[in-house]
Amino acid sequence: MALLELKSVSMEFARGKGRLRVLENISVTIEQGQFVAIVGPSGCGKSTMLRIMNGLIQPTSGQVLYEGRQLDGINLECALVFQSFALLPWLSVKANVEMGLEARGVPPAEREARAGIYIDKVGLDGFEEAYPRELSGGMKQRVGFARALAVEPKLLLMDEPFSALDALTAITLREELLDMWQAPDMPVHTMVIVTHIIEEAVELADRVIVMAATPGRIVADLKVDLPRPRDKRTEGFNAFTDRIFSLIEERV
Amino acid sequence: MRRQTFTVRQSLNWLISFLLLAGFLALFFQYRHRVAAIHPHLNVQLSNLPYYAFCSFYRMLAAYVLSLAFAISYGMAAARNPRNERIMIPAIDIAQSVPVVGFFPAAIYFFVAISGGGRLGVELAAIFLIFTSQAWNLALGVYEAVKTIPADSLEALDSFGVTGWMRLKRLYVPASVPKLVYNSILSWVAGWYFLIACEIIAVGPAHYRLPGLGSFLMEAADKGRTGELIAGLVALLVIIVLMDVLVWQPLSIWAQKFRYEFAASQSAGTTQIYDLLVRLGVNIRRAMRTLVHPITTMFARLARAGAMARLGALLQRIGKPLRIAWLSALVALIIYGLGDGLIALVRTLRQPWPSEARMIPAAAGASFLRLLIAYAISLAWTLPCTLAASDNPRFDRLLAPLAEIAGSMPATALFPVIVLFVIQLTGNMNLASILLILTGMQWYLLFNLLAGARQVPADLKEAARSFGLSRYAGWRKVTVPALSPSLVTGSITAWGGGWNALILSEYFIYRGHHYEVLGLGALLDRATYETGNGTMILLSLLSMVLIVMGLNRLVWRPVYNFATERFRVDY
Repeated sequence: MALLELKSVSMEFARGKGRLRVLENISVTIEQGQFVAIVGPSGCGKSTMLRIMNGLIQPTSGQVLYEGRQLDGINLECALVFQSFALLPWLSVKANVEMGLEARGVPPAEREARAGIYIDKVGLDGFEEAYPRELSGGMKQRVGFARALAVEPKLLLMDEPFSALDALTAITLREELLDMWQAPDMPVHTMVIVTHIIEEAVELADRVIVMAATPGRIVADLKVDLPRPRDKRTEGFNAFTDRIFSLIEERV
Repeated sequence: MRRQTFTVRQSLNWLISFLLLAGFLALFFQYRHRVAAIHPHLNVQLSNLPYYAFCSFYRMLAAYVLSLAFAISYGMAAARNPRNERIMIPAIDIAQSVPVVGFFPAAIYFFVAISGGGRLGVELAAIFLIFTSQAWNLALGVYEAVKTIPADSLEALDSFGVTGWMRLKRLYVPASVPKLVYNSILSWVAGWYFLIACEIIAVGPAHYRLPGLGSFLMEAADKGRTGELIAGLVALLVIIVLMDVLVWQPLSIWAQKFRYEFAASQSAGTTQIYDLLVRLGVNIRRAMRTLVHPITTMFARLARAGAMARLGALLQRIGKPLRIAWLSALVALIIYGLGDGLIALVRTLRQPWPSEARMIPAAAGASFLRLLIAYAISLAWTLPCTLAASDNPRFDRLLAPLAEIAGSMPATALFPVIVLFVIQLTGNMNLASILLILTGMQWYLLFNLLAGARQVPADLKEAARSFGLSRYAGWRKVTVPALSPSLVTGSITAWGGGWNALILSEYFIYRGHHYEVLGLGALLDRATYETGNGTMILLSLLSMVLIVMGLNRLVWRPVYNFATERFRVDY
């Protein structure tokens, strides 16, 4: 059974007197254990689609099925990583990471232990009591990852998680994300990443969903069968990114 | 730019809010016959000063705690629901523009009547009045803070399922802290002003008196006890300075922690007192934890056992009907009260009007002229000071703290002193009343102008200099236009302060003589204290409210819209 399924989902927003169609007739199935990337130009509604998957936004029409059941409201078995990190500036690293656990009623001692594990995993050991404003961009996003992973979600959703970072930091963090995903003790197996960087999608994902804008729709759904670890300098990798690039370009 | 038009709907809104306000006033007012006179004995002696200071302080504290609770619930309700927002924010605008001091006698009638007579009622009335001077800007602060929480923070909390109490504790309250602290400082300044005012009013020839610093000062001035007068002023100054050093400065530093980073980059640094308090706070928290820990673990155990979850579910189930019942009871009570009030209003107004009523237009004109003169004087010294401060940062650094101390000293405390000297000098109230109004106006103008001057971008001023503009041309082309939004905001608040001061400024009892000038405030005071004519009190108060609201609608709102649209610096 599919973990998550969008069935002919459409989304409209009111704009002025008219209505703006952001997503049109989207149908996607996310299988257990998959790493899916959604790429597309800005304004193609990919971030909106991610929020519909999480239940933050209700679609105008269509169905969202999680483990075969209709999703109404926010899906607490998902966790979200934000482009802007979205950390609370008045909470320490530890308190930020514990937030999701606290909301789920995990008792304090267990909360602390689990936050500690994931703070270690993202390499922020020793920064538990620091505040977000004292951290660099890369470290802030590590907190963002730790916060999302700490609730041990069945589905990790990432909205342009590396776009606000400098290029070198982004490379390191991508590698670390892959390492964590492939580690045997990792309870989070299924991931969806939204990005506008094609290389990033091909480097990370098993499957790339390509979208076009106005209205946002899926134009291709490609399986990435390049062997891991993937090297960006190989011909196979470049051929794949070129193919996606031309798919997007011919529709702009 | 769009032309400001006065639509039928706006006029209707305006009329309805005026009627509601009049009804509210009359509601208070109808209790006046049930109130008996109270004469607690006031003793102007140095040994009594700590007691009087304590009385004043506890009134302030009680009103502030009420304001804080009100502000957080009101501000959040307005910010989180657009339907509430449309009613609640304009309501605050109106509440802010009403001259609160004029309501004090009516508030005394009301609270003394419902509390069964005695000092408790007068205390409640004073606390209510201080509350009305503190609550509105706090509530607006919370509203703005909650409204400007970044969307991603809200989404993050949503996606992690953070709701209810935890959301309040982790997001809404912390996000409001910087604005709450900033506005608390302003609220305390306003609160002191009104506290002293109602203690002075109560000590006048009326039948109620409140022991406190204000009445102490008043009585000391009246009896000519200069030593006690100075001691009272010093005591007030000491309390204000101590509050600033021990509470507001450390709180301002602490509040920096709760800023979103893009909001402000300047660090407040730290002070020795702040560090000391932090250490003290850590110890207190440790002690509290050992005391509270057993209780919280018990609750945690209960929560795990599911008892809390069941209780929560139960509360959620009955929550909505409960809330509806509570709200409709409240609405019914308000409607009943206002209906009652409006009936009282009509009944009072249908009685034959006293001959004095014919003086109202002339009195209103005279009061308006007095305010205009005081405003012109305020502008005449604050604007040059601001321009000088804008050109010369050293002067700014010198002026700002001086102005802050002078401005946080409630001008009402100086009223007895000013009256004492000026009446002895001139023999009448004319000059004194303008001076008194001035003390209620000038600081608002200065603070807003100084804050505005600091926000004029340095590169604009540099550009003017590099193109060889003269100093005067620089002011005319750059500084004054960039200042004009702050000038308008400052003017609006200054006039608000002026109308309040008016009620205390046109009528004064000193050593058994009463001094007065022709004016709305004097009419109101005389009707309250001398003749006790209910119709006259209502008429003068309502005309004042009408003038204030009319001026806001017809003059200040269009000017404000124009200034913020035309002279906003955002490129």
